[in-house]
Amino acid sequence: MSDLDRAIAQLRACRLIPESQVRELCYKARELLIEEGNVVCVDAPVTICGDIHGQFHDLMELFRVGGDVPDTNYLFMGDFVDRGFYSLESFLLLLCLKVRYPDRITLIRGNHESRQITTVYGFYDECIRKYGSANVWRYCCEVFDYLALGALVLGASSELEPSGPSMNDNTQTTMPLDDAELETEILNSKGEVTGSTYRPRQRTLSDSSTDTRNISPPRDISATPGQTPLRTGAPGTGASGSGGGSYSSRTGSVLCVHGGLSPLIDTVDKIRLIDRKQEVPHEGAMCDLLWSDPDEIDGWGLSPRGAGFLFGGDIVKQFNYRNDLSLIARAHQLVMEGYKEMFDGGIVTVWSAPNYCYRCGNVASILELGEDTSNGGTVTRSNGDYGRSNGIISTDKPGVRSPGRRYRVFEAAAQDTRGMPAKKPVADYFL
Amino acid sequence: MMRNSTMDFPTAERPSSISIKGFQIITQKRPILKAEPIEHMTKKLGIAPPEMIFGDNFVTIEHEQSKWGISFNAFDALDRVDKTGTSMLKVAYSKEWQKSREKTHEGIKEVVKPFDWSYTTNYMGTVHSNGPAFEPTAESIPLELLKQPDPILFFDEVILYEDELADNGIAMLSCKIRVMPGRLLLLSRFFMRLDNVLFRLRDTRVYVDFDTSEVIREYQCKEMDYERVRQTLAATRDDIPAVMRDPNKLSDILPLLEMRSERVVLEDCRT
Repeated sequence: MSDLDRAIAQLRACRLIPESQVRELCYKARELLIEEGNVVCVDAPVTICGDIHGQFHDLMELFRVGGDVPDTNYLFMGDFVDRGFYSLESFLLLLCLKVRYPDRITLIRGNHESRQITTVYGFYDECIRKYGSANVWRYCCEVFDYLALGALVLGASSELEPSGPSMNDNTQTTMPLDDAELETEILNSKGEVTGSTYRPRQRTLSDSSTDTRNISPPRDISATPGQTPLRTGAPGTGASGSGGGSYSSRTGSVLCVHGGLSPLIDTVDKIRLIDRKQEVPHEGAMCDLLWSDPDEIDGWGLSPRGAGFLFGGDIVKQFNYRNDLSLIARAHQLVMEGYKEMFDGGIVTVWSAPNYCYRCGNVASILELGEDTSNGGTVTRSNGDYGRSNGIISTDKPGVRSPGRRYRVFEAAAQDTRGMPAKKPVADYFL
Repeated sequence: MMRNSTMDFPTAERPSSISIKGFQIITQKRPILKAEPIEHMTKKLGIAPPEMIFGDNFVTIEHEQSKWGISFNAFDALDRVDKTGTSMLKVAYSKEWQKSREKTHEGIKEVVKPFDWSYTTNYMGTVHSNGPAFEPTAESIPLELLKQPDPILFFDEVILYEDELADNGIAMLSCKIRVMPGRLLLLSRFFMRLDNVLFRLRDTRVYVDFDTSEVIREYQCKEMDYERVRQTLAATRDDIPAVMRDPNKLSDILPLLEMRSERVVLEDCRT
């Protein structure tokens, strides 16, 4: 067993590794991360996770529900530290896994991976408490500076393989199975299906892949009249797309970023130009990517707090269209259901810290994107204008088909596994 | 909303209560609200609610004979937050942030839906009464009686809402209640720390004497700018970051800006 494997085993048991080993680990991690671009390309299948916030036992629950590294390919969208009691154990374990299995786990930066924020929200104090000095905090902060700012998931399948029987069968298949494909599926932590949505199958997809390998625009799109997607789950997730149907025959990429978009960034390539190896600044594109939030507004807005941007559905739609994206996955905001799709499924918030701060009682989720095997595993990497350059498709219809999305919803680890007394308020003589 | 109704929250509890000398005290603690009730609340309030709303939580004190009661809940507290944005604070680096953006995005000057995002509230509870109302008084809550080590028969702490101010501090409204054989004390405290800007406390205390059926309600406003708090603490041997997270300790440091007392004596049984 190598030192690294030993460290992993130790951290999995929620026991810290010696300071000298942390230094070495952080050094190796930095060497790895420096080679990554600002936007890491990740091939599907992949499991996308949101904020962890030092909730170590819930991270273990996440791995139990989503599968272990390296069996499952993971993408964590930042905010590993602060708030929870085990930021060190959580972050160091993720970092060990990154160094051990660099191609099976991707870590991108959240706004809490910063010197300034960690001094206020717990990670700094935890380092002092557990290691007796700020050294480990300093090593970790140096790693933070090298974390990628985003990731691009390529080759995700538009259709999900059904996971099995539904818990209570209300999935009415009014459409012949041949004409409907599974678009989203919600699973509980036992792997039971608790909800799903379908949409009309893309006729051209399978046709084209057998007809010809060389699909060149423009295509005749007039054959498919606008159809309303079939919903069989409860409505409201926006999971069924824009309602008009989409005509392109492939799934666009999925951009993963901690916060959201920036008015300074209109293409994914512009993210690639940022000089990221620094503390998260208070201004500029890098700050926005880690801090901004989607909101039900038109265009861009300023947060009432006097700093930070809000962006509306039209911004998401334009950005996705322009960059051949079918979805933006982000974290950063607590959502009680564990995930929240907005703007006709153009953006989703994934939240992976159940019972946040040990008192919110919320559930968490992870998002699984499957691999598109219809093209013999070939991943389209074009930045191109495929499927929309014929001028017929209006801009309010996405040029690409959104990926099939499987949300695994999970609850906080049982109280007795976290070694903390059950929370009962202690009576005190307050005045 | 997607259906996942089979999920039961582990922390869901039934209300706790105690009946004593004609008074009933009830507290309820539930998880934060889900998307649908939040949407509903957003519409009713007209502002974006805080990140964590414990909308099902409450503390209620009821006098059984007179049907008088006072309760504390998140919605009524949030309804008293300034919704116009006239008392809007700005985060510490706001100037720097906005200056750096003046040239690049001139189009984006509009603040979306301005309101007091610190969720400061002067909420003093929701009173249910057909009888006498609170009247101003010079009398204050008898602290000496409350300092006696009487047994605490019932104690609870209930959070109503909390917001991280987008990682610029904390805003939190919570209620504590302790019931002794002869009296009770409730403290509803709004605590806000806006990093590098301001500390703020808004306390409402409700004192009930079970034997005289007298209720005293006291409201206090305390506030001090961040730097002055830091300087005050620097002169002590305290762990500064820890104190800055502890409203109880801060309460001793922050100067009192405003205080009001009211009193009501509940009617005895006359049925």
